[in-house]
Amino acid sequence: MRISLQQELDQLEAALQEEGELVLRALRGCLGALVRQDVELADEVIEFDDEVDDSYLSIEEGIQSLLARQTPVAIDLRTVLAVLHVNLHLERMADYCVTVAKLTKLVAGAPPDPTIVTAFEEMGARAEEMTRVALDSFAERDASRAESLVELDELIDRANRRAVQQVIALGGDEERREWGLRMLLVSRCLERIGDHAVDIGEQTSFLVSGEFREFTDASH
Amino acid sequence: MSSASPEVRLAGGRRGSTWRGRVFYALLLLSLAVGFLTLGTLIVDVFRKGIQYVDGVLLMNPPSSDPAIAGARPAILATLYLGVLIIAFTVPIGVGTAIYLEEYADKNRWYNRLLELNIQNLAAVPSIVYGILGLAFLVRGLGLGRVVLAGALILTLLVLPTVIIAAREAIRAVPGSIREGAYALGATQWQVVSRQVVPAALPGIATGSILALSRAIGETAPLILIGALTYISFNPTLLGPFTALPVQIYNWTKLPNAEFKGLAAAAIIILLAMILLLNAGAIWLRNRYEKKW
Amino acid sequence: MVTMSNREAEPVTIVGVDTLDLAERDRSMPPPETGEVVFEVSDLTVSYSEVPALKDVSLKVYKNFVTAFIGPSGCGKSTFIRCFNRMNDLIPTAEVKGTVLYHGADLYGPQVDAVEVRKRIGMVFQKPNPFPKSIFDNVAFGPRVLGMTDDLDDRVERALNQAALWDEVKDRMKASALSLSGGQQQRLCIARCLAVEPDVLLMDEPASALDPIATTRIEDLMHDLKRHYTIVIVTHNMQQAARIADMTAFFSVDVSDGHRSGVLVEYDTTPKIFTQPSDKRTEDYVTGRFG
Repeated sequence: MRISLQQELDQLEAALQEEGELVLRALRGCLGALVRQDVELADEVIEFDDEVDDSYLSIEEGIQSLLARQTPVAIDLRTVLAVLHVNLHLERMADYCVTVAKLTKLVAGAPPDPTIVTAFEEMGARAEEMTRVALDSFAERDASRAESLVELDELIDRANRRAVQQVIALGGDEERREWGLRMLLVSRCLERIGDHAVDIGEQTSFLVSGEFREFTDASH
Repeated sequence: MSSASPEVRLAGGRRGSTWRGRVFYALLLLSLAVGFLTLGTLIVDVFRKGIQYVDGVLLMNPPSSDPAIAGARPAILATLYLGVLIIAFTVPIGVGTAIYLEEYADKNRWYNRLLELNIQNLAAVPSIVYGILGLAFLVRGLGLGRVVLAGALILTLLVLPTVIIAAREAIRAVPGSIREGAYALGATQWQVVSRQVVPAALPGIATGSILALSRAIGETAPLILIGALTYISFNPTLLGPFTALPVQIYNWTKLPNAEFKGLAAAAIIILLAMILLLNAGAIWLRNRYEKKW
Repeated sequence: MVTMSNREAEPVTIVGVDTLDLAERDRSMPPPETGEVVFEVSDLTVSYSEVPALKDVSLKVYKNFVTAFIGPSGCGKSTFIRCFNRMNDLIPTAEVKGTVLYHGADLYGPQVDAVEVRKRIGMVFQKPNPFPKSIFDNVAFGPRVLGMTDDLDDRVERALNQAALWDEVKDRMKASALSLSGGQQQRLCIARCLAVEPDVLLMDEPASALDPIATTRIEDLMHDLKRHYTIVIVTHNMQQAARIADMTAFFSVDVSDGHRSGVLVEYDTTPKIFTQPSDKRTEDYVTGRFG
């Protein structure tokens, strides 16, 4: 029953998951560029953001059209609203990837600190994992798996806090310090990506339970 | 916090309407009783007088001046023939006219309106007038003579308006949505009428025709006028002299011999039985095939 | 190719990703400008006894689209849809001016036989109107009157299948059609139309006499049927038009010349009408602010 509504919902979700794949590629790209100081790759990541934006707009239009024409209620309405929010979070995540790429370009040439770079590799891996979990748990409507994102986020948050100490410990000349500051921003971006992944998890929980609640209070 | 609700009065008040209602109801029952009692008295009277004469003699013998062996066979047969002929004539003409008026006629044309008006009037014309008409035009004018065919034709004219009206009602009762649905599928007007309208109206048409017939076979005046002879001892033929059951009854009642009155009563019973059968058939037909739109 | 440490071993290259085109994907129909035109209406005016009920309507109906006519009561949408299969011919006081082209041919041309028109353009009415005959005879009526009596059993079965009714009635084909429920009767009427293999299906408020579940079944049916037929539907329920129509035409009542006549206000793709209509009258109507 309601074939066309169901088809449109399925198409929107499929588009969303594809957008998620795009975000993952952007993430991997920007991390690769960062770690290997690959300016060309960074440029590609920046250009790639257009694809994500197109997808974002397309899904937005699809949602508007679906709401106007199908007047979904109950689970269907929650699905559409969840898709709307997840779409937004994915787009923001992609934007942070662009920021990381831009920062990579800015510090090109400066000598990196291996400890910090390793830390970023770890954080990057965490962020990637969280994005994957967020997308999968949304697709499978698995609320408990979505809640596991909170623990993963803790790891990134801790790594982010450690990064400040590590940058202070850098000391040294101006170029070093500049590099350090920029890397703080990178760390912040990765941490925000993790937060958005948690937000996606919250949408999954909303979809399943019908109630919206934040997993953790931001004041923690 | 409780609030006292106003007392709700549900018991019936003492008002004149109940009283008036009961009086009205009583009057209705009274009128019903009058009708039934009158009819009942007549039937009971006829039965008492005639039942003993209802036997094979009545049914098989020709009339005779001797009441012991007098029968009404020719009359019964003539009535049956008349019945068959009346149906054969009225149904095609009546239904055809009704179809024309309902499905094909442009109601704004003067001749169609004239036709409609005339049909209504003809239904109200007294039967004896048809008798005179028949005598002048059919018996003498066409030279048919005083035969069964002439009688059938006259009675056809008599009940034709009724059949037309009944058929029109039946055709009108077929909802326009059925016609629209048929047209929308690409049917021509003739196909719509013949395959949808008439089949759907058939129970109503049949009922109307049978009721018209049951009236016709009880008609006496026109038949007398065209000279349904009183004394026939042979079986009637289409183009031969005849007498019908109502006429036979009429003539027996005129005879002085009291036994003939009994025979007349018996013949009445036969006639009533025929009419009852026809009416019952009409009702059965109507109930069985009545469409619930 | 250098690969990422952790997860997939796939090379990290971003160039060459396919564009995601949602608009193309969920609209498996061609956009209006490139679609094949089935009906082209120009300056159509319909009057009853000289009083115009519908004025100067011009629009195109596209193949394999569901086109909906919406608007308040009295705006002439039922009158309009009945022009497409010449059902207005049955009303003596109706007069049709202007042109209706069907695949380029004038529907009201002098040589045109209304029966031929109705063979190709079928109609389903608001109140289900099954004939007082058996289910089989109902569906077989169209083929029989049009002389399409070869393989009658197959035709009937195919039509009932297309109308999603076969499974429910296959064991009682001789039963009276009046014994079916309202929703089933309407699907029977649809099957009746489909049995004559039309090109176009006109539906005048097909679900307004049905309960919500039966209505949804009819809507799902239309979604399937539009793959093979062109469907035009009149509905007073604009949400229904929003759900099922590809193109929507909004009609309104115009009283400027002293008479209440219907006019076409806006005709566009359904998403446009319901998200960003061009005419304020349309917006007032679809938002429910129209008095």
